[in-house]
Amino acid sequence: MRIVRLLLVDDETRFVETLSKRLAARGFYVEGAYSGQQALELVASRPFDVVLLDVRMPGMDGLETLQAMRKLQPLVKVILLSGAASINAAVEGMRLGAVDYLLKPADLDDILAKVDAAFEKKRLEEEQAGEKRET
Amino acid sequence: MGIGDLVRKLFSGNRWRPAVARPDTRAALTLRYLAFKDLITGNDELLEVIADIEQKLEGHTQFSMMYVRFRAVACATRAYRMIMCLDKLSSRRYQELHLVFSSIQRAIEAVLSRTHVAATAGPFTYPLSAVDATLAEKVGGKAANVGEVRNCAHLPVPDAFVISTDAFRAFLSRGQLGEDIRALQISLDPGNLESVNEISQNVQRLITASPVPPPVIDAILAGYDELARRLGGEPRVSMRSSAVGEDGEISFAGLYVTVLNVPREGLIDAYREVIAGLYSPRALVYRSMHGVPDEDVPMAVMCMVLVEAAASGIACSVDPGHPESGTLLITGAWGLGLATVSGAVSPDGWDVSRNDQLILRARPGRKETRVRARPGGGVESVAEPAASASAFCLSDPQVIELARLVLAVEAHYGRPQEVEWALDREGRFFVLQSRRLRLARQVPSLRSERPAPADGYPVLLTGVPASAGCASGPVFHLSESEDAASFPVGAVLVARHSSPQYVKVMGRAAAIVTDIGATTGHMASLAREFGVPAVLDTRTATWTLARNQIVTVDANQGVVYDGRVASLLSAPSAAPQRTMKGTPVYGILRQVADRIVPLNLTDPGSPGFHPGACRTFHDIARFAHEKAFEEMFRMSDRVADLTHKAVRLDEKLPYELYLIDIGGGLRRSEATDHVHAGDIVSEPMRTLLAGMTNPALRWWEPRGISLSGFFAVATELMMNPQYDGGQRRLGDRSYAIVAEAYCNFSSRIGYHFAAVDAYCSDSLTRNYVSFRFKGGAADDVRRARRCELIGEILRRLDFQIERSGDLINARLRKFPKEAILARLDQLGRLVVATRQLDMRMGPGPPVEWFVQAFFAGNYLFEPEARSPAETEEPEP
Repeated sequence: MRIVRLLLVDDETRFVETLSKRLAARGFYVEGAYSGQQALELVASRPFDVVLLDVRMPGMDGLETLQAMRKLQPLVKVILLSGAASINAAVEGMRLGAVDYLLKPADLDDILAKVDAAFEKKRLEEEQAGEKRET
Repeated sequence: MGIGDLVRKLFSGNRWRPAVARPDTRAALTLRYLAFKDLITGNDELLEVIADIEQKLEGHTQFSMMYVRFRAVACATRAYRMIMCLDKLSSRRYQELHLVFSSIQRAIEAVLSRTHVAATAGPFTYPLSAVDATLAEKVGGKAANVGEVRNCAHLPVPDAFVISTDAFRAFLSRGQLGEDIRALQISLDPGNLESVNEISQNVQRLITASPVPPPVIDAILAGYDELARRLGGEPRVSMRSSAVGEDGEISFAGLYVTVLNVPREGLIDAYREVIAGLYSPRALVYRSMHGVPDEDVPMAVMCMVLVEAAASGIACSVDPGHPESGTLLITGAWGLGLATVSGAVSPDGWDVSRNDQLILRARPGRKETRVRARPGGGVESVAEPAASASAFCLSDPQVIELARLVLAVEAHYGRPQEVEWALDREGRFFVLQSRRLRLARQVPSLRSERPAPADGYPVLLTGVPASAGCASGPVFHLSESEDAASFPVGAVLVARHSSPQYVKVMGRAAAIVTDIGATTGHMASLAREFGVPAVLDTRTATWTLARNQIVTVDANQGVVYDGRVASLLSAPSAAPQRTMKGTPVYGILRQVADRIVPLNLTDPGSPGFHPGACRTFHDIARFAHEKAFEEMFRMSDRVADLTHKAVRLDEKLPYELYLIDIGGGLRRSEATDHVHAGDIVSEPMRTLLAGMTNPALRWWEPRGISLSGFFAVATELMMNPQYDGGQRRLGDRSYAIVAEAYCNFSSRIGYHFAAVDAYCSDSLTRNYVSFRFKGGAADDVRRARRCELIGEILRRLDFQIERSGDLINARLRKFPKEAILARLDQLGRLVVATRQLDMRMGPGPPVEWFVQAFFAGNYLFEPEARSPAETEEPEP
């Protein structure tokens, strides 16, 4: 089983740093970005499995970043994070292809469960995409 | 047509021909499988949230507005995810669901957004001269009351200005402060004081670190300068919270912060401090116990000229413990009022008759400290000389003057008031604030008669009854600085001072006893609000009462007894049944839940079972769940024209079985086109197959076919053009889609269609087995009896059964892995055994005989049953 590559995107640097440490301690490969723009640069340069993406960021917001990101890596799984419990934003995010929507501050166990589920989904999709290429 | 032709027709059929391979079929299958799994997960999660909401609707547990918002979002995302999954499964067959979803979503958003007070922006400050009750939304309850006293009742109130709730909103909406505060409070659990303390600290830190927007700063300083002009000098001010709703129906007594003696340059920091006080642990707990949404308590801050008080205190226009007594209570101490209201000193007390203002009783306190203003700003507590500590802080004429002032305040409001007063150095009285007085709940008992003393129980202490009622429990000592988290449920709180801090344990304390404190203090007010009996000012409780000692607190009489005095406890309790029902937050949850929880779509067979009939998220989930199963079966039907990547199973079975692996279901080398049972990794499939290959089935042995049964089948075949051999073939291939924890198997054996869909993992909630059986080729009697038999067998295996015609749908959910596997084993046997059924099930033994035969392992249903070999009993 290969190492899951995670990207954390949030303008709140302390949140990114703390969560990165905790996730790295659980065996994930983790990178952090503090803006949508920075996140896109990372996604353009190397593959990620799962992205935890804050919805409210100054500049390019989470939903814009999500759309751009899925163009760069269609299989990447994006879990949106938000402190604002807005049904509209959540539904819009899922419509744009986010796999899930987590409300901050989320439990680490919750985050881990969502990341696992997202990664499992990506693995299966990759497998079938691989087989498709073989034929 | 002779019998030979018939037999040929029955047992040969057309040979199966491979269809043209479509390379993307397997990819499509995997995607569908993923969508299906996702949908099942979404369904499980949604049902869990619904169960949680239903539990909260019972009203016995606390929850916040945050809870309501987050549950609403959780339900919406789950329901939406299910719709998206169903779209993938069904090639967008049910588009109407999107419309239904949007309308439910809008309805919920409308309820939630109504909780934000429509903010028509007004000025950031108001001079007190402009304030009355009509401005309560802008200046908060406390300031509105004081404005009334000054401007309408024309009673002495120090001059002031108020920083409005619009300023508060401007502060919170700067950056994302408001949202961050909301986010920090998400996990607030009022029962867990450690988490309350942590959340409180984080929120307060966030607020004190946030810059106040420049327009708000400008307005505050301008408000102050105007006040200074009116007074002709730069005053020090006291800054008090004035939250909307405060001092109204629920008191918030003493829960918020007051900062005393603030100079001009300290205004902004003090402003932030008061705002942060909105999120003190006790305020968080109090609001959540009362179900007050945070959005509903915007905070204004009153900046009032500080009265350099010689004495100050609280007065109640009616004795809250004995409203019928016609007595007015005054308490007072030296210096600023902080010491009295916070219960830090034992104040002087006077009982004054309401009708003629006679002093009925005067009781000197022990005012060992005095709070005074520091020259540089802020206040300090200094020791009081022994002589003045026990000397009355008011003269008799002053007591009478004050009593009249209090009655005048009451007259303005027309109901009992609790007045905070100050006496300045020139001997003038001022009203600093006034709030509605909360009276003890009337206990329906013979209050005027003195109840029989609790004979035989030693009286340990006497004190001032501050909140009526009787209760018993073990003693637990707690000081203000101590962590209240350790306080046990049902204990009697014993403390040195009364303090509003103890609101944090009022949900758990049986009663409260303190050394020092007054009926007029904030804590007493809170105790009455929560219905916790309290006896204060006992002087010696902390060293008279030992930890864990069982005592009975009679707060009607102000007595603490040793032991459990059952006769007192059987009296009707004054404590109200605490409930969330009737609170604003409860009402909002109720409205939101109306669009989430009720299930209107119950019968998939009824014409009302369509997307347009969905009224709630629960309906959407029910509909999508049902249709997802339908689509999965449709999918396994479609596999008949697929050869790509399917592998043949080399096992002794009554038909050919092909397997399609969509993820971790098979172990195989790429080169072969066949696998053995040992190559199957998928646990549900392996177990199903074990059932199908159970040696006791003996399907390969020559059977003694009853001729009448055979004719029944053959005749049906000839009569029904549908079975002309082209559409339904005997000996068709069967297919199974497998994954590590999943299998979807379907077969047609003879004319029977049987399908098994199962997910089986260590996660109990996701486990399920669904079985579908449709028979054919037999006369009505046989069909009916067969249906009855299969239904009965499934019922005994704990399945939920639905029958329509000769289609049987059976489902079983949330069983542990072992139980799921045991059922799959039985289903495997059943699928094969049904081959024999039609031939056997003519008129003859009752259905029950067949059921017994099945569970006895007589899968050939032979009348002279051999003793079954190697069969296990089904799981109970």
